[in-house]
Amino acid sequence: MHSFIRMVKSGFSSFIRNGWLSVASITVMVLTLLTLSIFFILNIVLNTGIKTIQDKIDISAYLNDGIKQSVVIDLQNDLAGMSEIKSIKYISKDDALAAFKLQNKDNQKLLDSLNGIDNSLPASLEIKVYDPNKLDQITTTLESNKYKASVMKISYKENKEIIDKLFRATNLTKQIGIIITAAFTLVSLIIIFNTVRIAIFSRMEEIEIMKLVGATPGFIKGPFIIEGTLYGIIATVISMLVLSSVLYFVTPAIASYIGGVGDNISNFLRDNIVQVLLIQLGVGITIGVFSSWLAIRKHLKFG
Amino acid sequence: MIYFEKVSKIYKQAEGGTSEALKNITLHIKPGEFVIVVGHSGAGKSTLIKLINREIRPDKGKIFVGGLDYSELKKRDIPYLRRKIGVVFQDYKLLPKKTVFENVGYALEVAGIRPKEIKERVPRILDLVGLGAKTNCFPRELSGGERQRVAIARAIVHQPRILIADEPTGNLDPKTSWEIVEILQKINQLGTTIIMTTHNSHIVNKLKKRVIKLADGKIVTDEAMGRYEN
Repeated sequence: MHSFIRMVKSGFSSFIRNGWLSVASITVMVLTLLTLSIFFILNIVLNTGIKTIQDKIDISAYLNDGIKQSVVIDLQNDLAGMSEIKSIKYISKDDALAAFKLQNKDNQKLLDSLNGIDNSLPASLEIKVYDPNKLDQITTTLESNKYKASVMKISYKENKEIIDKLFRATNLTKQIGIIITAAFTLVSLIIIFNTVRIAIFSRMEEIEIMKLVGATPGFIKGPFIIEGTLYGIIATVISMLVLSSVLYFVTPAIASYIGGVGDNISNFLRDNIVQVLLIQLGVGITIGVFSSWLAIRKHLKFG
Repeated sequence: MIYFEKVSKIYKQAEGGTSEALKNITLHIKPGEFVIVVGHSGAGKSTLIKLINREIRPDKGKIFVGGLDYSELKKRDIPYLRRKIGVVFQDYKLLPKKTVFENVGYALEVAGIRPKEIKERVPRILDLVGLGAKTNCFPRELSGGERQRVAIARAIVHQPRILIADEPTGNLDPKTSWEIVEILQKINQLGTTIIMTTHNSHIVNKLKKRVIKLADGKIVTDEAMGRYEN
């Protein structure tokens, strides 16, 4: 036990006495953590944006006038049985008219012209799905022989080309986001590893002396690992402070451009502050310890 | 205590050739002896020291130290071997970021000695080498002679039976050199076997101890109460 306390003490004191080396390593680590955090947040923004767009994609199946209520119920039941579907809403002819009137409430002339005319708006089913990529399956059902006569028009069909383009774009954006984040993670790891390696390399003579006076590899390694842990902890604290203050000032600006997204980031951070902190801490300490361990390993061979 | 049996050490050179630093050396050092190894640069003195401390391995022959056969020593046992041998280097090899106390204490820490005992033993040793007042200084704040005293204190604090000193006075002025040698003599009188390399003839001739002279990797003379002229 006292040898563990000794290791911790020795790690702390060499952390302080190697002032500028510690500062350099921590700086690089802070930048690493910040870069990663920013990319993850950008990913969240992107995904929220994509989700918002995808939520707006739904199918309206316009029904022919005069079809039997039982057919509508059949259709609704059939669709409800499909696992891809989030919700189905039946909009009657009257509902459609009311919605139309609400939409055009500022256009008095148009509203006046409706008076006395038969409601020519069709009833419709508004279908929302979990995964917009599955829309095709739903149209297949709607176009089946059973319902062909009842369904007048499917809105999705009309917009299919635009929606498909949008999908391709959002999927591509997501993939690029993942690739860039992964690349940045890798580059950051390489940079931080090299910084720690240089820090340890500059202390090779020290390690050599420790070996000469009979220190075991474990005894030499211990304080260096503790130092690595300290790098991780301090870098995390700094990066969290920077991150939260930047977000505090920046989110309102983002929110004014993309409504909802800005709220999403600050809500996300507020709701997940503990997780974000723990993840950063975990990443920071892991990188610190792992790079120290990896860098020191080869200096510890006894010839 | 120390026994070399037909030991040779060959170094590979950058150009692809080889140089034989030690050639078929056979040597016996008894417990409690004070042995001085002399010779010009490149004669093989440092190689001899490094072989005893197991920093390098011989290419031929066998080495026994304190009854231990080095050819059977495993790499992971090297740290434990080094705790039984004290070493003093020409360039002191102190840990720059540790104080005098911590440098000396480190040799005890590595052996797992309790902090309480370290606090008792280190000041005693520092008094022995005359550095009681410099306990909390860092190496950069000390003179060469003081640094070498710290190194000696570190080398003997764990009470090794063998102390090897590789050119301990190499960087010091004559007066300080003699002070260091006097400390080594004192340690020898307490029962520690000492092997010291030097090319300072003044010290050798004043000490009147066993002198082994190396030249070109071979022992040329080995005399009790030997003398040495540069």
